[in-house]
Amino acid sequence: MLVKLSLSSMRKMFKDYLVLLFGLTISIAIFYMFQTLAQNEAFVEANKMISATMFVFHVGTFILGFITIFYIFYATSFIQTLRQKEMAMYLTLGAKKSKITQLMFMETLFIGIVSLVIGIIIGMGLTAVIADVLMDMLDFSAEATGFKAIYTSSIITTVIFYIILFLLTSIVNAWQIGKKKVLDLLQANKQEDVIKTSGLKTFFGVLVSIILMVIGYYTMIHIAKFQHFGVILATITIVPGTYFIFISFLPYFVKKLKQNRMLNETGINSFTLGQLRFRMLNLTKVLGTVAMLIALGLGAMTAGLSFYHNIELQASSFQANDAAIYEPTKEDIDTIEAMDVSEKNTYEYKLTNDGVFFLKDSLLEKPPLVPHFDRSMEAISDIQIKRVEEKLPASLYTMDGTEGEELPDKWLNAISLELNASYTMFGERTVYVVDQSHYENVDAKEKQVIVTKTDDFSKHVSSFKQLEERQQEVAESYVGKPVDNVGGKYNNYVSLKSFSSGTVFMGIFLGIAFLMMMASVLMFKLLSSAGADIERYHMLRKIGVRQSLLQRSIYRELFLLFLFPAIIGLVHVLIGMQMFSFILVEPYTKVWLPISIFLVIYGLYYVITVQLYKRIVLPKHH
Amino acid sequence: MAQSVLQVNHLNKVYGKRKETQYHALKNISFAMKQGEFVGIMGASGAGKTTLLNVISTLDQASSGSVKIAGTDITNMKQNQLADFRSQQLGFIFQDFNLLENLTVYENIALPLSLQGVAVKNIKPSVLKVAKNLGIEEILPKYPVTISGGQKQRVAAARALVHEPALILADEPTGALDSKNAKSLMETFVHMNENLGTSIMLVTHDPLSASYCQRILFIQDGQLYKEIHRTHKRNEFHQAILDVLSEINKPNEW
Ligand SMILES: Nc1ncnc2c1ncn2[C@@H]1O[C@H](COP(=O)(O)OP(=O)(O)OP(=O)(O)O)[C@@H](O)[C@H]1O
Ligand SMILES: [Mg+2]
Repeated sequence: MLVKLSLSSMRKMFKDYLVLLFGLTISIAIFYMFQTLAQNEAFVEANKMISATMFVFHVGTFILGFITIFYIFYATSFIQTLRQKEMAMYLTLGAKKSKITQLMFMETLFIGIVSLVIGIIIGMGLTAVIADVLMDMLDFSAEATGFKAIYTSSIITTVIFYIILFLLTSIVNAWQIGKKKVLDLLQANKQEDVIKTSGLKTFFGVLVSIILMVIGYYTMIHIAKFQHFGVILATITIVPGTYFIFISFLPYFVKKLKQNRMLNETGINSFTLGQLRFRMLNLTKVLGTVAMLIALGLGAMTAGLSFYHNIELQASSFQANDAAIYEPTKEDIDTIEAMDVSEKNTYEYKLTNDGVFFLKDSLLEKPPLVPHFDRSMEAISDIQIKRVEEKLPASLYTMDGTEGEELPDKWLNAISLELNASYTMFGERTVYVVDQSHYENVDAKEKQVIVTKTDDFSKHVSSFKQLEERQQEVAESYVGKPVDNVGGKYNNYVSLKSFSSGTVFMGIFLGIAFLMMMASVLMFKLLSSAGADIERYHMLRKIGVRQSLLQRSIYRELFLLFLFPAIIGLVHVLIGMQMFSFILVEPYTKVWLPISIFLVIYGLYYVITVQLYKRIVLPKHH
Repeated sequence: MAQSVLQVNHLNKVYGKRKETQYHALKNISFAMKQGEFVGIMGASGAGKTTLLNVISTLDQASSGSVKIAGTDITNMKQNQLADFRSQQLGFIFQDFNLLENLTVYENIALPLSLQGVAVKNIKPSVLKVAKNLGIEEILPKYPVTISGGQKQRVAAARALVHEPALILADEPTGALDSKNAKSLMETFVHMNENLGTSIMLVTHDPLSASYCQRILFIQDGQLYKEIHRTHKRNEFHQAILDVLSEINKPNEW
């Protein structure tokens, strides 16, 4: 009988259960997605750039698991508040408490299992899609790396983890219902939030939060000065600082807003702000956590992407020019001309069986560009690109000075790196720079090499690929055996990229998983308190507030609640990226990309939350 | 003759759609209420009192017939017009869930004015005036959780009154109060009615509360059953009300 009742009421509250199902499904899908990476040790091992990657994943699993536990409790307590009155009614009708607890238990478990099945399926889809897009973006293939969207051991872990979790929450929920008095249940919705603020405490909290944030930000910006100690100092100031902001500063801020009578007493503002204020006080910990995790997720993504974009910058820091093309064909020249070339110099050389002879006059006529390093330089971006200025007075130079003079440093760089006159290109041949008379005495045909630089290397990667493939043939014809890497900027770029794209992939993948999880925690916490608001909105409607105004109030209130953690998380990330300025050339390159990804995910959650919330609190018809 | 604030003509309310089981909750009800009148509505449980109040308060739609408040026919208005009409012309006091707990008493009372877009500088004087009238100045900065049930209802009355509506509608406002607080709230209503000229329509079960009204309409099974006027002292009126109630209850003997 009771089971029948329970089923019929579940059917009635189908929409609300849908919300729960939706939330659980998301959480499971994300957990699974994370596990496909974390469990795939082969992938992680093969792609790690930093030895601690595996450790990072374990920590990640731990954090995600921890959040998930909270998440599940929020989600189930959301449905519990909706059902409390009904349960109480059964009790007053004489149903046994043990029966009710049993019912509650079965319900939670049932929903859990349904969402587990759907969640894992969605998780697979999500993993496949995201991985696909990312791998495409990063030019690396799943087959080569052993990454799989459907991964048995991840499925098992996810199932076990969630079954345990559902059992646990079912027990706790059932126990809580069992513990409560019938009267408490009946009056579940009437619990009122109490506001407790003491002026001095607030002032102190605000002060502490500001001081902590200032210290934390300062150390992050000047991380070069503080080194390891700075990382620790930043962590221990920013984490509590963030919580303090939400505990004291923001409530204080809203209170100040409310005290502005002009604002507060216009339209429905007093209600919106009142809601906001109370909600903020109940949500301090959640909002603080969300802000921190936004910072982490977005940070992982931003760092990952900026690693990626830095590959080009790093590759280019060793060479000023983009390519040296020996014996250019008609085709090569066409390819070069099709690009926006800012530098294109042609030098003459002759090739014999045991030597390469560059004509000094042709080099001096327009000396190649080389990067200038400086001892006082702090970041790679300080490198200056200038032409070689040294004159070459002697008539014959070699790289190591075994014959004639030794090449001056800058020239050595120019010949070996910019002109790529390397072992892979010329084999055992000795490289000479000679004057006209020596040159004429070399009994070989004169050849040409073009050294070129474009406006933006990354824009023309595919053209350079073509050119380098041709150079490979040239090199093979010079060396007389297969060559697998002729060197040069393009090849540096490719190997750096393949070296780091696995790590970048993991960073972005994790970042996205974290953000999705984060935002849904916020969504659930908000929705779980929506039950208490039903009466408020009902009353407002009665006293004649237009539906559109109520909606606007909801949009605004939730917007601000979503906004605060987002702003703080974003500022954390923007300032935190400073810490990478000594490994990354430009930590902020294309920072808009992860930020946009974040805004899209977060915005989507905001819209979904508003829609679900509206459905709960606003009167059904009209 | 005073202007009529409310005119109800041949009002019918049928619950349930066609084809479904229908319930005729209000049957051909007609009556009028003069400006400044204090009218009580009584009747057995399920008689249709709340339904009548909901239709008058524009929260529910009539099936047929018309309702005019302060000269405006509300039966054919659109949702937004109705909302605006409620916020301007009507004041509400309910048995429960009267106040928004996340607003202070002051903010609760000020809300109808803010919603109407009254200039901020004019809000405070209005709130203070009505609070003084109802003797709740002291508790203005408090939150509803920290005040008593009787005070809450007086705050609700202040909120219903602050924008000077044409009509105040109260559905069992004394339902959740003890007799002392109920009495004090009814005296507040009388004060509002006599000194401020407020028109009040009160639904109640309690004959003692009803005895503060000038006129009582009795409803039975969705129909207007009887109407009595207060001519003499309150306790006599109280007795008269009790008589009618026992008369209503007799025929269908529970
Ligand atoms: N939404 C509804 N749908 C169907 N029938 C309804 C609805 N609301 C009320 N009724 C019916 O209309 C009749 C009158 O209800 P109403 O709430 O007006 O009674 P009441 O006089 O206020 O009673 P009480 O004194 O118990 O509050 C009742 O029989 C009730 O069952
Ligand atoms: Mg009623």
